[in-house]
Formats: sequence, C-alpha cells, structure tokens
Amino acid sequence: MTLMTQTAGERTAGAFRKLTGRLEIRMLVLAIVLACVLSLLSPYFLTRSNIFNILDQSVVVGIVAVGMTFVILTGGIDLSVGSIAGLTGIILGLAVQNYPLPVAITLAVASGAGIGLISGLLIAYFSLAPFVVTLGMMAIGRSLAYILSGQTAISNIPSGMSDLVYTDILGLPANVLLLCVLYLAAWGYLTYTKGGRTIYAVGSNKEAARAAGLPVFFYSVLPYVVSGALAAVAVTISIAQLLSADPLMGNALELDAIAAVVIGGASLFGGRGSIIGTLIGVLIMVMIRNGLNLIGVSPFWQGSAIGSIIIAALLIESIVSRRVGR
Amino acid sequence: MTIRDPLLTATGIAKTFDRTRALAGAHLELLPGEVHGLLGANGAGKSTLSKVITGHVIPDEGQLVYRGQPLRLRSTRDALDHGIAIVMQETSLVPDLSVAENIFLPELGRKGAGISYAGLNRRGAELLATLGQEDVLPLDIKVRHLSAAQRQLVEIAKALGVGAELIIFDEPTASLSPIEVDRLFDIMTRLRSGGTGLIFVSHRLEEVFEITDRVTIMREGRTVLASHPTGSLTQAELIRHMVGRDLGGIYNRAPTTAGKLAAPVALEVTGLKSPPLVRDVSFAVHEGEILGLGGLVGAGRSETVEAIFGLRPRSAGTITVGGKIVNPRKPAQAVRAGIGFVAEDRRSQNIVPDLSVKENLLLAHLGAHRGFGLGYRSREKDIDRLLASLGLPADRLLDANMLNFSGGMQQKIIIARWLLLNPKVLILDEPTKGVDIGTRQSIYQLLRDVAAKGVAVVVVSSDFEELIGLSDRIVVISDGASIADLSADLLDEEKLTLLAAPRTSMARNTEMLRNLSTETGGAGFWALLDQDRMICLNLVGNAASADPGFATGDAKPFAETRIPTALKSREPIFVPEADGQRSTMLLPLRTARGHDMGWVGLTLPANARTPSPETIRGRVEALAASL
Repeated sequence: MTLMTQTAGERTAGAFRKLTGRLEIRMLVLAIVLACVLSLLSPYFLTRSNIFNILDQSVVVGIVAVGMTFVILTGGIDLSVGSIAGLTGIILGLAVQNYPLPVAITLAVASGAGIGLISGLLIAYFSLAPFVVTLGMMAIGRSLAYILSGQTAISNIPSGMSDLVYTDILGLPANVLLLCVLYLAAWGYLTYTKGGRTIYAVGSNKEAARAAGLPVFFYSVLPYVVSGALAAVAVTISIAQLLSADPLMGNALELDAIAAVVIGGASLFGGRGSIIGTLIGVLIMVMIRNGLNLIGVSPFWQGSAIGSIIIAALLIESIVSRRVGR
Repeated sequence: MTIRDPLLTATGIAKTFDRTRALAGAHLELLPGEVHGLLGANGAGKSTLSKVITGHVIPDEGQLVYRGQPLRLRSTRDALDHGIAIVMQETSLVPDLSVAENIFLPELGRKGAGISYAGLNRRGAELLATLGQEDVLPLDIKVRHLSAAQRQLVEIAKALGVGAELIIFDEPTASLSPIEVDRLFDIMTRLRSGGTGLIFVSHRLEEVFEITDRVTIMREGRTVLASHPTGSLTQAELIRHMVGRDLGGIYNRAPTTAGKLAAPVALEVTGLKSPPLVRDVSFAVHEGEILGLGGLVGAGRSETVEAIFGLRPRSAGTITVGGKIVNPRKPAQAVRAGIGFVAEDRRSQNIVPDLSVKENLLLAHLGAHRGFGLGYRSREKDIDRLLASLGLPADRLLDANMLNFSGGMQQKIIIARWLLLNPKVLILDEPTKGVDIGTRQSIYQLLRDVAAKGVAVVVVSSDFEELIGLSDRIVVISDGASIADLSADLLDEEKLTLLAAPRTSMARNTEMLRNLSTETGGAGFWALLDQDRMICLNLVGNAASADPGFATGDAKPFAETRIPTALKSREPIFVPEADGQRSTMLLPLRTARGHDMGWVGLTLPANARTPSPETIRGRVEALAASL
C-alpha cells in the first residue's frame, strides 16, 4: 500500500536497506571491524599462524553452536551441552581403553544423542519447559561424569587419536575441515530440506505448523538429539587435542554456544536465526578471547571484557535494527 | 436536537509509517452524547485514527481539539488523564488479576501505595450498576475465566473507572453472539444518554444502522464522508463511499440445484463427540456443495471442525471422507485423507511470520511432501496458475513478511495453501474475519469457484447474513449438538438466530410444550411460518393421533403437513382440519423486547377434550416474557 513511486536512488537505498536489514551482514561488519581493531592493537593478530589458531579454537564451540542453533530455532534452549560433553568425554575415554577408536567414538556420540532424545521427549511430549529439563540434565550429566571417571582425568588415551585433529587435508587441519563441512551441511539442511524448514516453522508458530500438517513432534525432538550428539563430537575433538579426558570438560560450554547463536542473530523465541549468523557469532567470540590474550589482558578480566562486548554488540544491534526497521 | 459544542474535533490528521501513508487528511467531529460510526475498508485508516485520538500514535500533521481546547497527546496515559479511552478487539486485561483489579488497573499506575480491596469492590459494583450489569459479573473472579463478552464489559467498566467521556469501541461485536450484541448496545445507549461521546468502529453495516447517530467514512487515509446522519443513508450508499464504487450483489448466489444433493457425499460426520463443547454433531457434505455451520459463539462450531481435522481429541463418532472412514488423531492424517482447514485465527493458527510469503503458501505442501528435500519446484506451475486465478501479483510472493499484507490478502494466501493440495474437503472457520467488505466479495467468489470444481466446502461463520448468502445448506449447532439441517433458501437471519438460540430458552420452551402435551394428550410444537412453508424448531408429544406431520428440524410446505388449514389460518383458537382428524391452535411468540420468535402450536386429536384457549395463551405469554 505504498503511495509513492520508486526512483532510481530509492531503489539503491532499498537494496542497501535490504542488505543492512540482514542481521548476519551487520554482524559480519562487526566481526571485520573487530578484526581491524585487534590487528591494530596486536601486530601478531592477523598473521597466518594466528588465523589458524583462531579457526582451531573455534572448532569445539562451533560444533556445539550448530546443535544449539537447531534448538534455539525451535524456540527451545539446551543448557545440558556442556555436561553432555563432559559425560560423553569420559565415556569415550573409558571405551577407548577396551575398544577400537571408531567404536568408542560411536558409543560416545550415541550416548550424547540418547541424552538429547530423553530431553527432547520430555520437552515435546510432556510440554515441559526446555530451560528446566536441560538444566536438570546439566546437573545429572556432570554428576555422572564425576562418578564414571572416579573424579580424575583419564590420561592414557592412545596418542594415535591426535591424528583426528592434526592431519592436514586440502591444506586445512582435519578439525577445521570438519567444522567447515558441518556448517555447510547444517546450512544446506536448514535451507533446502523439509526438516530444516519445518524447524523454522515450528519455532515461528508451532500451532500453524501443526495445522498445516507438518510433523511438529518429530522436529521438536530432533534438535535436542542433534545438539547432544554434536556435544559428543565436540568433546571428541577436544580429547584428540589434549589426549586426556577430564570430567570437567565442557564446563560453561553451553554459555559460549548460546552467546554465539544469539550474537549471530537468532531470536530466543524461535523461528529467526541462521547457521551463517551462528558461524559469525562463534568467530566473534573466539576473536575477542584470542585478541585479549594477545594484548595480555589478565584472564580474570577477560570474562568482564567478553561479557561487556557481547552486551554492547547486542545493544548496538538493537539500536541499529530499530533504525533500519525490521 | 439542541446544538451542542463538539466534544472532539480532529482536522487534517496525517501520519506516515515508514513508507506507508496511513492517514492523509482525516477529519472527525464527535458530539457529546452521540454514537458516531467510523467506517471504512481495511487499511482505510480507521484504526490509525483511533490510535491518534487515544495517544497510541503521534500524528505528523493535524490538530485535535477537545472540549474547545487544543489537545496534544504524548502517550495513552495522557489520553486517559483527559478521559479518552478505547475498548479494543483484543483486550488489554491482565488475565490473572480479578475483575475489580482490572477495572481499576489504571489507578495502580498512579502515585500512592496500598490498595483498599473493599473500596475497589464497592466502586466496581457502582460502575457495573451504572451500566445496568451489576448481576452479570462477579468482581472477585479472575479475568482468565471470563468469556469474550464479559471481558469486554470489564474493559468498558475500566474506561468508566478513569472517568472517560470519550470511548472508542474498535470492532466490539466481532466475537459476540447476537444476544451479547444486544446487551452491548443497551450499554452503549445508556452511556450515550449519560452524555458520553462514543466512536463505534465496525464492519457490520446492520449494526451501524442500528446503533449510530452519525457516521464518518474513510477511504485510503482520508475522510470521504464526514459526520453524516446515519438515518439519511442507505446501505448501498454506505458501501459505495467505503469502497469507492458500486458493489452489486455481494453474495451473487447461484440458485441451489437439486443436483448438488445428488452428488456423492464427500465428508460425512456421525455422532461426533469431543468434550466438553461438542456433544453430538452429525452432518454430510456433498461434492461441489457449500455447507454452512451456523450457531452462536461458544456453541461448539469451531471445536467441531477442529475435532474433524484432528486438532482436538474425539471421544465418539465417525468421520468418512469419500466413503472411507478416517480417524485423524493429528492434522497430518486429516490432510492425507484430503481435508484442508483454514483456522479461525490467522495470526496464531495459520501464519508462520518468520517464513516468507512463498513458504507460507507452500506450508501445507511441505507437510504433505514425502522426501528429504523441499519439492518446491514441482509446484511452481500450480503456484503461478493459482496466483493468477486469485488475482495476486506474483512478485509479492517474495515479500519477507506476510503480516504486512491486508487481512484479505493473507486469507487468500492461506486458502491457496490448501488449494495447492487439491483437497476433497475444504473447511474454513470464520473465513472473512478481519477482511474488509470489498475483499470479502472476492473470497466468496473464490469459495464458490472452488466448490464448482467439485470440492466440498464447509464454512463456519458467526455472520448469519454471510452464512445464508454463501451456503447452499446450513447445519445449525446449538450447545454442541447439530439440531437442524436446512436449505439456505429457507432461512433468513431471524430464523437462524432462533434456531441457534441457546439451550436455556430451548429448555424452558420444551418444558412448556411437554406440559401442554401431557395435559391435553396432544402435540406441542414451536415453528417458524412463511407464506406457505414452515420450519419446526421443536416438537414434543408422540401420540400418533396428534402427529402434525413434521418433526424437529423439518422444513416443509404447509401442504405436506397434516395440519395445512391451521397453519394457513393461524388462529388463536382450535381450527379443525378438513379431514376432521386433528385440530390445532397457534399463538405468536413475542419477547418482552418485541422480537418475533415464531409461533407456538398445539395439535389435538379429534376426540380430545378441548382446553380453554385462554389458559394456553396465558402459558405462552408467561414463557415469552421470560425469554
């Protein structure tokens, strides 16, 4: 119902508006600005080896953030991923003593998926609040991790496991390549498959999705299964790097993952967000932490710095988006 | 009428949102003690103008003059302080607070701590008394438990609680039954005689004629007819001003052909039960037929169609589609059986706001699609064809947000969502809710075209005029049971209202008829009479010798009953039939307010002792007074 006609100038302005209207693009700009600032503060920041460093550090939180994106897109939240990582890490550490590595990894990932399945069923079948269910799972997971491990780290991991991370394929370390493949697959799934679009529809308006005949129940549970399984995949990468499994592994991982997804533009109410946004969110989080280390900020101050930057980013974003108009 | 100073004058109001000009020169003059209708198609700017007057929206240009003083509103709070309030469609009540707390909610925002509940209850009771509604609403009940009509009453009391002298009613009758509408109009009449200025925003023209003194009509953000006395306008003129052209017959109904009833049954529902609201519903729809489900709000119509579609659990009953029994426990199964369903509330039940318009259109396809991918491409041709037939420009499909569309456009897309699947049965719950009158016509035409292609269409509507105009046949649902199944040709709004009357008055009616029938050994009935046809609303008494030749829910020409002479003469004395078998007396049933409620009859066998007509008349009048 626009009464005005468009001029050429307005059309360019329209294209610009469309571009800046996309939150991922605005966040990408923020990531680039951040990179520039950090490279001014530390000449080492933009070197090849540090860039690989950043990518390497992005892998674990990046993998978990994919599962978290699925969950948050349906309007849920998964607080249990850190504990699932801790528990499945211990399961992997124990299993690898007696079984071949592929079997041990499969067992760990299946356990993660199983825990996610339980959470998902409780949430979807009994309509329990995702926050509460996964909070409970978080406590249970961590406690089981301590019990199974006997409260100590398992350090006799076969050293061959580190090949999982440090083999170069196509010039990229295997773990970074895994991350790239995972994001590509997740992006394709969420954009081009029935399941992906159903996840968006469920998060945006569950009732309408149900009334349109979409399999709402299945796709309300699936994200928690994916999230649990990916938490186990993430901890597998961690263990391969450290050659040790600790019951404390994955502590506070859920917070980093949620922060990355939210910085990437997802709405905690569901239905809005994207996998590319999440990737940018992960990179922003990791760059900040990496940059603060490089310029020698005390680890005790880093939490405050990261927290402030997250809040500031979302604040600026909210002001900008209000001006741009949704 | 004495000349009064206007309570409020709005002149030259303009407002642009983003790039949409919502108002471009709106005028309005409201007198104290008048009901002023504000009309216009959707998107004409009625809501925006209402929001300007209540401080929700700050205009770019124009002046408001209130009681002779220029008025600048910065917020709704400001407006409330000046005594300007709005009663909105979606109420702004707090569901978990009591009625009394909600009425005085604006005071909680004022300074000072502590609340006197005794004081609130006393003043709340006073307010309800001024509205004449003191018995209707307990003050200590939580708003969560109230009906839509009761909530509205709380809103009105809340407006009076802040001393409002100007109240805007924004589509107040949208979710009310005819009886509740009557009550609302009583309240509005009281407020008017107390000197309050009322603005009545509505789509329903009959109501505008019934309640308003003057009307202002808007089109495309401008006032096109200012403060015109309602009495000097015809409905056609009103519509012409609203849509800017003549509208012809809105319904444009093809005469019902017997052929439709000969077509195979597409959907049959028998003994459907879904507690608490659906008790016993049965009906059948033929291919190519439009069936209306009529009844009052709360009678269980929406719940019936939701149960059929698998959105509600059923405890009894069978559903067959195309002769095959289906038992959908979730919508996906109903869709597979060939049923499409457009739910009542577009925003919460149909639209997925974060998906593009195209994906919204393809949502039912996505549900029905087997396979990992999307299968959108296989539908491209169908989409193009559908859009062309709906008159929707194809480029708008790429719009990101469907909520920017008008209600009518949204509804067409939701209907198209189902048409894409070629359903056997299409069920629509309130298909024109929030759709402006110009677009309604095209939706009616669309549904008629759909039916012409052999789809069975089931429509639920609270707008009886629409229901009668659109449907071939109407099944009336009252208190969760289907009680009549009649051709739409036989019905008008009054008859349908009577058929749909709630159980309480029907129960009293039945009781009276039963008493008459047991005392006299005859058959008592309640019926609507035309020139030469009758519809039986209720029949009590089973003596074969007194059988008048029709049963409850029947519609027959007089000649096909056993009492044609009596039905034709309509005498308050016992009229014998030509065959000497029966004699019948008939009495008109009129409520205290003068509503025509049809006729009450008593048929006696030839050998029965004839009671005094006077005692029977006394009974009927006592019943009429209590209705």
